[in-house]
Amino acid sequence: MADQLSFGLASTRGRSSHLRRFASRLLVWLADWSMALPLLIVSALMLVAPMVAMFAGSFIDGNGQMSLVNWSDTLGSVASQRAIGNSLLLGVTVATITLIIGGPLSWQVSRMLRLGRAFSLGLLNVAANFSGIGLGFAFVAALGTYGMVTLAMQALGLPFSPVSQSSFWGMVIAYEYGNIPLFVLLSLPAMSLLRDEWWEAAQTASATRWQFWRHIGLPILMPLMLADWLLIFTWSVGMYGLPLALVGSAPRAFRLITVEMGQSMVGSLFGVNHVPVYAVILMVIATITLLAYRLIVRRAMQWLV
Amino acid sequence: MARVARLAQRIPIVLMAIFIILPMVAVLLYSFATRWTSNILPDGYTFEHWIDGFTDARFAAVLVRTLLLAIACAVLDLILVTPAVYWQKVRNPRIRPFLELAAAIPFAIPFVVIAFGLLALSGRFAPQLQGTLWLLLPAHAAVAFSFVYWAVDSSMTSAGVARLSEAARTCGAGPMTILWRVVLPNIGPGIASGALLAFGASFNEIALVQMLVGNRFETVPLYMLNLLKGSNADFNLLAVMTSVTFLVTLVLSIAVVYVNGGATTQLANTNPGRRETQ
Repeated sequence: MADQLSFGLASTRGRSSHLRRFASRLLVWLADWSMALPLLIVSALMLVAPMVAMFAGSFIDGNGQMSLVNWSDTLGSVASQRAIGNSLLLGVTVATITLIIGGPLSWQVSRMLRLGRAFSLGLLNVAANFSGIGLGFAFVAALGTYGMVTLAMQALGLPFSPVSQSSFWGMVIAYEYGNIPLFVLLSLPAMSLLRDEWWEAAQTASATRWQFWRHIGLPILMPLMLADWLLIFTWSVGMYGLPLALVGSAPRAFRLITVEMGQSMVGSLFGVNHVPVYAVILMVIATITLLAYRLIVRRAMQWLV
Repeated sequence: MARVARLAQRIPIVLMAIFIILPMVAVLLYSFATRWTSNILPDGYTFEHWIDGFTDARFAAVLVRTLLLAIACAVLDLILVTPAVYWQKVRNPRIRPFLELAAAIPFAIPFVVIAFGLLALSGRFAPQLQGTLWLLLPAHAAVAFSFVYWAVDSSMTSAGVARLSEAARTCGAGPMTILWRVVLPNIGPGIASGALLAFGASFNEIALVQMLVGNRFETVPLYMLNLLKGSNADFNLLAVMTSVTFLVTLVLSIAVVYVNGGATTQLANTNPGRRETQ
């Protein structure tokens, strides 16, 4: 009897100690994560969950069944194909022009003296942060039919007619406004990797400026510049406010993925099932860019530091 | 000759400066113009549009609403981010990869995607939240938090927060006391610039506002879009609002450089891990 009793006690003690160990482990885990939990929960609900919802939504048809109908609908429609192609084309064009103009500009700013540098950085910072609807309107005010630049050109007697803001080149010009400054700010740290002594050393070896850039400067900078090109490309494809303002109510505007998404929401129900597919395309572009960016930067920095 | 060459070198940056400044000048002139259809400069100048704007109930409400939302977003982000980064530094380094991943999302993923995802999710699971601030505010906090994260993270690293809090613990201080009285006073610049950047991100954000609340909660960018698309667009009033947002951007940019002791070249869109947006 006493035996039995003690056995029973031991087993309850065993179970409760098991429970207690689990509870204490849970408490430790909670304590380890506690202060980060609110942020992690908000990020999970507001950032991760929407992405998952869009991804899942792209594979679910109107009746809640798994299907590829959204994908075949979207990729089969001529308008969607054009929007996707346009977005990619605009991204590539904007990023490439940004690289061609921004690269040398960034080099120049990196070699400026204090005052000029502070002034340039201030200006570039403001331009990089001035975006969206306000920037779109600013372009209408400057380059529209009654824009300041247009009026000035015409007052000088030049037969100047501005490109429409909602056309391809009109958008490219407006996109460059923020992207070139952004590119310069992004690539400035890379420019200081190129040491002045190397140019001096190259000169002692009687190298020309062209040879220096061809064999030393560009090989070092190119990977990092390409990484920044990728970022500009991705951000350009994903821009929403600026193209929305530029398109305005123009009926024959240049179609873009992001603008199509917005209009399917505001306007009719037509094309609503394209939205999740567009979203997945944008997410895939962003993910590839981010991974490639990390890889390129890591490899480029490897032998430099 | 050398002088000419030096001047010639300056040409690209000068052209860029003109390209940057011209649209801003055009907007400012528009906001002061009486009539402007045929000459280089407006036919006359007036303060009327500015006075009209600030005495207009809708205009003023839009401005106040957006400012309050942006402040709330910045405060919420500080409350969410600071303890999380602190805990990662002094207690549990395994938090870090999760924070890095979360911060990378708004950096790379367009906000339209997040906006539509939230719209679909809230429609399914919490329709009563749709169209309310209770959806918009956390959404803004989530997409703006990476700025606060990067700023707070780097200032905690440079302040040596792990050692500071170890010293404080030896003196018998609890985690909240340490965070409030030891850590916070040492990371002032990071907190300030993070908050400014989050404020700016929320102030200029349109995709989430348009999708999640729409005209029920008209913010500055949405108001400008509505004016721009309206059939009888009042371009002068639009120019006033654009000037206001431009001034806000300018003040924020200067303030960020100022709180960082003039050392920073990195602003809103330019961060380390990167940068990175939208």
